[in-house]
Amino acid sequence: MPVKTELKNGLTVCHIDGEIDINTAPDVKKGFDKLISKKEPKIVVNLSKVTYVDSSGLATLVEILKNMRSYGGRLRLTNLSPKIKSLFEITKLEKLFEILSDEEEAISTFV
Amino acid sequence: MPSLDLSASLRNSVNRIKKITIKIPSEIKQLKKVSSGILEALSSYNVDEAKLFDIKLCIEEAVRNAIVHGNRCDKSLTVKIDYWVEDDKFALEVEDQGSGFDHTLVPDPTSGENILRNSGRGVYLIKRLMDKVEYNQTGNKVRMVKRLK
Repeated sequence: MPVKTELKNGLTVCHIDGEIDINTAPDVKKGFDKLISKKEPKIVVNLSKVTYVDSSGLATLVEILKNMRSYGGRLRLTNLSPKIKSLFEITKLEKLFEILSDEEEAISTFV
Repeated sequence: MPSLDLSASLRNSVNRIKKITIKIPSEIKQLKKVSSGILEALSSYNVDEAKLFDIKLCIEEAVRNAIVHGNRCDKSLTVKIDYWVEDDKFALEVEDQGSGFDHTLVPDPTSGENILRNSGRGVYLIKRLMDKVEYNQTGNKVRMVKRLK
């Protein structure tokens, strides 16, 4: 499973490992389905170990965000590599997502 | 099917890779084989990681579009991939056997009404990350160029 979940300061923090692409995107989505079905209100996703994202990966992250927004949930992405961050900038998805530089900051300021 | 082991033996000078043609069936599992084979062929060019990321992404987006949208995943249809390097420029052509599409009609995935949609980002990323992108008139073949230096 490419998504590992832990609780930190009462918040759900997810770590994704490797590539988020057309091959892995369905498993990534599955990793969030349980959290979404429980209407998890706040999720921090640490992408420090993500080396590659394609358009399927971006679409999956958008899908997860949409699903969370449908019940008022909030999603924060952290620790994006410069290259992956540039994909969010190019596609203007940076305006859609809350993107923070590191996990600790995302947790401590998630009010 | 030709081997995807596209080694340095195919390179005839430091600055050039002769045109290499790969034909694959319309299966998603071919994507990584194609991109890793091409990146392997580029490995001695000392291309920086960011450019390699862009090239990998654009290869996979173009081939994926050819398989899924062009050939509609019909395994009896093939995708033809040509690539070469000349004057420190990487060129890639991807052609499917579908009826083609008009790339100018693909909605802008960055505009407010489309940002949440799941389509159009692959075509857009290719246009943004490559230095030059052209489609043939039918719209079933894309050519892209990226400077390696």
